[in-house]
Amino acid sequence: MTGRLHPGLIAFAVAVYIFLMGPLVIVIGASLSDTTYLTFPPQGLTLRWFERIFEMSAFRRTMITSFQMATLSTLLALLIGIPAAYALNRFRIALPSWLSTLFVLPVLVPEIVLGFSLLRSVQVGAGVPVFWALLIGHTLIVLPYAVRVVSAALASFDFSIEEAAISLGSPPVKTFFTIVLPNVQAGVIAAFILAFITSINDVSVSLFLTGPGISTLPIQILAHVEQFFDPVVASVSVLLMVLTVAVMAVVERTLGLTFLAK
Amino acid sequence: MKRLAGWTMSAPATLLVALCLIVPVTATIAATFVTGQGPFAAYAAFFGSGFRRAVLIRTLEIAGATTILSLLIGFLTAYVVSRAPPRWRSILIIMAVFPLLTGVVVRSFAWLIILGRNGIVNNTLVGLGITAEPLPMIYTQGSVIVAMVYLFVPLMVLTLVGVLENIPDDVIQAAQSLGAGPFATFREVIFPLAVPGLIVGAVLVFTGSFTSYATPQLLGGERQMVMGTLLHQRAMVAFDWPGAATISAIMVAVTLAVVLGMTRVAKRLNPMAT
Amino acid sequence: MTAALTLDGLTAHYGTTKVLDDLSLDVEAGELVSLLGASGCGKTTTLRLIAGFLAPTAGRIALGGTDLTRLPAHKRNIGLVFQNYALFPHLSVRENVAFGLKQRGMGGAERRAKADEMLARVGLQDLAARLPGELSGGQRQRVALARALVIEPPLLMFDEPLSNLDAKLRVDMRVEIRQLQRQNGTTSVFVTHDQEEAFSISDRVAIMDAGRIRQLDTPEVLYQRPANAFVARFVGFENLIPLRVAARDGAAVTAEGAGGATVTLDQDVLGPIPDRFVLATRPDGLRIAEDGIPATLGLRTYLGRSYQYRAETPAGAYVASGPLSAPRDMGDRVHLAPWAEQCCILPDEAAA
Repeated sequence: MTGRLHPGLIAFAVAVYIFLMGPLVIVIGASLSDTTYLTFPPQGLTLRWFERIFEMSAFRRTMITSFQMATLSTLLALLIGIPAAYALNRFRIALPSWLSTLFVLPVLVPEIVLGFSLLRSVQVGAGVPVFWALLIGHTLIVLPYAVRVVSAALASFDFSIEEAAISLGSPPVKTFFTIVLPNVQAGVIAAFILAFITSINDVSVSLFLTGPGISTLPIQILAHVEQFFDPVVASVSVLLMVLTVAVMAVVERTLGLTFLAK
Repeated sequence: MKRLAGWTMSAPATLLVALCLIVPVTATIAATFVTGQGPFAAYAAFFGSGFRRAVLIRTLEIAGATTILSLLIGFLTAYVVSRAPPRWRSILIIMAVFPLLTGVVVRSFAWLIILGRNGIVNNTLVGLGITAEPLPMIYTQGSVIVAMVYLFVPLMVLTLVGVLENIPDDVIQAAQSLGAGPFATFREVIFPLAVPGLIVGAVLVFTGSFTSYATPQLLGGERQMVMGTLLHQRAMVAFDWPGAATISAIMVAVTLAVVLGMTRVAKRLNPMAT
Repeated sequence: MTAALTLDGLTAHYGTTKVLDDLSLDVEAGELVSLLGASGCGKTTTLRLIAGFLAPTAGRIALGGTDLTRLPAHKRNIGLVFQNYALFPHLSVRENVAFGLKQRGMGGAERRAKADEMLARVGLQDLAARLPGELSGGQRQRVALARALVIEPPLLMFDEPLSNLDAKLRVDMRVEIRQLQRQNGTTSVFVTHDQEEAFSISDRVAIMDAGRIRQLDTPEVLYQRPANAFVARFVGFENLIPLRVAARDGAAVTAEGAGGATVTLDQDVLGPIPDRFVLATRPDGLRIAEDGIPATLGLRTYLGRSYQYRAETPAGAYVASGPLSAPRDMGDRVHLAPWAEQCCILPDEAAA
């Protein structure tokens, strides 16, 4: 759909994109400021706030926890989500229709309510340790990505290919790994990335489930901002943006950036 | 046989959702009806408190304003993106994806730098001599709305670009061949066909902003408390779990009502579905 | 209302690829001309240029003497029927038909009456309140037709309008389109890749290839007397046999080809024969005979009214036919002779 656009509309869109990009540029600028308070434009340029991050054990620890959570919850969600997505597509007629709705529920229930409920029932009620309760929470919020994105990939997979492989003597489980999985690879990669990013950035669920000694990076950022107004948080934010760029680069390499355009 | 295989493969995920989502959330909601002073005492207390009523109303206002602004900005931008030349379109889409993948905390925090005492806006105002003292801009309802709009515009743009690109070229060309100019084509064909998508986008933004925590916490603080921050304050600061449960139940009710109500409207309005 | 369409030296590019090469075409007022060709031949590009969805890199489009070349699509007043119908999914059948009238500023009541009248003409008066999604393919195509006709355009264009319909409906619809077009006397351009469709519906057909018109003529002439090898192959002359004249005796011409092939042809039937030429025949026009072109038979297929054979000759592989009464076997050495009614004479393009 191309054609002439009103110059006023184009100007408006340019303004919107400045609005979208500007604040991120400002964060980068603020992270370089040689002042003890946050300001933009930066006054003097320094990288010392980046060094400060790694000197502060709270940031070091929460970064590690966040990476652990994102990696483990994503792998766990894929481990249980891929078979579920496969079953939903392969045996659709034999399964009730509400089953697919079930896996969307974590999106439908407000995350903050989920966090509070997990605190009540799982962490306090069932006595599950902080780390594991946090992992359960993260797995729940990333599960919809695993199921839905892989499902979408499977929806365009022709299952007669799988039957062809089985008819040629390949055992079903082996067929799944050698025939089905390679054909929905793009979906699995996309699901992995979306799930990982969602977990890394989560606030609302982690808010209730972090406990003494175990916290995640976004929660630590919130806590730090409440007490200090120094550029450290801007530096951490820049690191998180670098992570986003890295993720987009991975997408570029594996799926092509046009994948994001869908 | 197929049924058994299907259930077996989906069992782990089903169990996780059932045990760790449905059971705990249901328990939270059920707890609000078991208070010892009758089934609706918790709700009577909530709506009886002027402060909590004000929080609910403020949250609805912020969510409503965010939704309307995001719809307007998002739709016009998405229209430009969808009609841009292919190379530009990919760049513009990637530029919308980038903030979306950058976390809520980072993006809300950016507005602290912009609107804060030593922020860029105040520095400019004082520098130009427009005001003598920095203006208090954070901890206002406006600052929360601005940051929320900032948060949700990329989501809206991406949702609506998809919707607009799904409108077949030949339908638009048919309108042109029948004498409809660019404005008439937009008003009579493109906009009506985008309405279901606008509703989906509105639902995403409304529920997202209604249940948000980080943005109102950073930019609204205690002065602009909303449902999310109130829930956290009740549960983690005041240790008033029954109160927090009631807030949870109201949030679930509003979210479900909006999602179910609007998807029904969207379905009825969607001629492509039939 | 009707007008003549003139295309003059149209050239179009997609990026750097030339998709239309100096194309000129005159469609007379009230005439139906088909653009026929395989996908990528430029027929749809031509239609999009006329409609104004694409700008030519060179050339000129005129309708009834008015230059359209620089006019935006919505001001061209051309009725268009799309391959996928392109109905507005959110508008009722009646609103779809009335859409063009609304753009022309016609009032609500009058618009409705005209739309209903046009729907009655295509037999859909009872479905006026339905949404397009509730209609069958044939019904949708009728709505699309009514929508294009109701604005009484001086030019109607059809872009493969029947390709999404099943075979039976396709034949019915093309008769219906032709009847409506005749009644209104609207100048029409019909784009299709289906030869039977083009030939059955058109006054004239332009056979296109690689962005050019290879031949523009009535279906009868195209079918019997193609002007070049491309068109000949397109209309089913599968065998192209290069020959040269050895002897002339009044109307009778004896010609020789590779490997001792000798055939006798009648200029009274085939028209004047140049000294070097290509004899084009349909499979039915090359028959097993006592003498002619020596050949070795290959695979035999049964076609109901005759047998068809692959045949190897010194000049190349051809498709020939033989009577059911005398089936031949693979490997038989025979002669093939042309049967004039299924043959035509083409200029020798290699020599030219």
